[in-house]
Amino acid sequence: MTDDSRKRPAPDGTEPADAEATWRRDVLGPALADRGERQDEFVTQQMHWPLKDLYTSRDLDEIGFDPGKDLGFPGEFPYTRGTNPAGYRQDLWTMLQVTGFGTATDSAERWSKMLDQGLNGFIIEYDLPTTNGYDSDHPLAEGEVARAGTAIDTLADMEQALDLPWDKLQHLSSVCNAPQPVNLAMILAALEKRDIDPASFTLQMSNAILIEYTCVGRYIYPPKHGLRIATDCIEYTIRNHANWIPISVVSAQLYAARATPVQELAFGFSIAMEYLDATLARGFEIDEVAPYWSFITGLEMDFFEAIAKLRAYRKIWARLMKERYGAKREESLRLRLMSSPGTTGLTLQQPLNNIARLGIQTLACALGGGAYAITTPLHDEAHALPSEEAVRVGIAVQNIVAHETGVADTIDPLAGSYLLETMTRRMEDEVFAEIEKVDAMGGALAAIEAGYFQKELARSQRARFSEIEDGTRKQIGVNHLVQADEKRSIETFKLGETAERQQLARLARVRADRDDAVVAKTLDRVREAASGDENLVPPILDAVKAYATQGEICDVMREVFGVYHPDSLTSGV
Amino acid sequence: MANRKIRVLLAKLGLDSHTVGITVIAGALRDAGMEVIYTGLRQTPDMVVQAAVQEDADVIGISSLSGAQMQHIPKLLDRLRSAEADDKLVVVGGVIPDEDAAELKAAGVDEVFTMGARTEDIATFIRTWWEAERR
Repeated sequence: MTDDSRKRPAPDGTEPADAEATWRRDVLGPALADRGERQDEFVTQQMHWPLKDLYTSRDLDEIGFDPGKDLGFPGEFPYTRGTNPAGYRQDLWTMLQVTGFGTATDSAERWSKMLDQGLNGFIIEYDLPTTNGYDSDHPLAEGEVARAGTAIDTLADMEQALDLPWDKLQHLSSVCNAPQPVNLAMILAALEKRDIDPASFTLQMSNAILIEYTCVGRYIYPPKHGLRIATDCIEYTIRNHANWIPISVVSAQLYAARATPVQELAFGFSIAMEYLDATLARGFEIDEVAPYWSFITGLEMDFFEAIAKLRAYRKIWARLMKERYGAKREESLRLRLMSSPGTTGLTLQQPLNNIARLGIQTLACALGGGAYAITTPLHDEAHALPSEEAVRVGIAVQNIVAHETGVADTIDPLAGSYLLETMTRRMEDEVFAEIEKVDAMGGALAAIEAGYFQKELARSQRARFSEIEDGTRKQIGVNHLVQADEKRSIETFKLGETAERQQLARLARVRADRDDAVVAKTLDRVREAASGDENLVPPILDAVKAYATQGEICDVMREVFGVYHPDSLTSGV
Repeated sequence: MANRKIRVLLAKLGLDSHTVGITVIAGALRDAGMEVIYTGLRQTPDMVVQAAVQEDADVIGISSLSGAQMQHIPKLLDRLRSAEADDKLVVVGGVIPDEDAAELKAAGVDEVFTMGARTEDIATFIRTWWEAERR
């Protein structure tokens, strides 16, 4: 019957030009004759790019897709097929989770348990006083101590936090942007005290202060001083701890602030180049420093857009390093990318649904290829701090994708997909166009000072929420399949009431036991370094070893650099 | 008085710096014809009360996502009473567990909007209160 209909002449008597036109006329047309498609238009969730009903080899011809140029082979320029030549057939990605709570003792206990459960490393999240450069006994800190992460006031806390099964630990990430040099110094001093070889594991620092000005808000000093401090950490680490990663462009935070993929990549790369230029100005060659740059991203629920984003990440970085900076080493061109299912796709409503979302996003992470590490947020995260059960499920989700689905068993299985290659190219082109726009403003620092990123992100945030409110974007449990009488009875982790009190007592003890004259002397040295252009890490390391508190060290820099207060334009609100 | 715009002071207390929600709410309330004043980050209860009085705000909106709402908001309510400014509408939004929401409302918060609340409903809530109390 199909054969008969194929032979039927077109209603207007002309012969279709090719097989697709024949299919449209003879197969698709009749199928849609009674009822059309279920929507007037189909668009991607984030970029709102129109989606055709069918992608074919003709789409690839139209964009001049060249497998040699656009894909290459795995581990080769432009790394679209992954940075690792063997994909995940040699090693699976490193499985990580973000966590931290309570005092250093509470956290060390939980981290040790996670390592015993099979994770290779973890990301330390600090509490808000720590990431904002305040001590636990500062008036603004009240109620926040040891709440959203671990509290670190002095070296004594860091020594305690790093009481871990070191034989199991390969990777440690530390997310502490504004006071990064203090955080780095505390880790260095604690390793020395514990007699741990810094070369035995990888420390990845976020050191991502410029992102804080665009959306996260945990800044202390004006942006240009933030950049200088970050560059000090980068320079110090490259010169002294060659196996560590001193900079992570946490584009995941742009994503969490509802940046579209194009905004995320363009703003993220512009920011990365700002750090790179500042570091090059310290007397390095591009190939000495580019291999240290790393990125952290988060994925949305639109599956193909998410995968296209991961592929575009690698390709654009390789092109920027090669074409703009003249980098030659492979390590400079190969993007270091950690990806994670995104928390913004998770819902407070019907929280168990989030396990399905995490599974799908983790699958996209794996199929996007070349992410060396994947973190899983937890299904009850929208509620409060994650429960232990959620931690277990998060680890299981990664293992299910790794061991049960087979997606990690061939290298870059989706290459050549008509849809995906078309999307990847479009993403690449639009990101380059946006980067050029930021270039024209004078780069990322100038764009931040002018409030450009903040304003653009605020626009995306509002657009996203109105889509969910008016139902153009369906979210299950929120605006679709809503349970009217839903009870929010999920079990969440309760923080012991005593953590804050314990931390305050611990801080008071350290203050009482130390030699204040030595502390004052080391703080004077920090002030002197901050006033000039000497690298801040060595004098801060001395202050940390004298048990100066983080707040005291940051206060000295507040005196020298000033405190940043964005106005209505540069806050984005 | 009847014709002037409703003045809403939006604030972030303590060290919580999650601003996506407050940005969206600021936009929605402006679209609904209200005047929005934003305090910026790292406010103490005293700073917010002072700003609310100075700006002659009708409504105080607090966004809380870090979990420290029970530390700051009861204090804010106390300070409002001491400043005899407790005729202002106080609404709270963010990640607020049900039991905290109940406690906050018992302490004098007029309404708590958690994630999933519609901006339209928030604007309507404020407008309804305004029609009943202020006009």
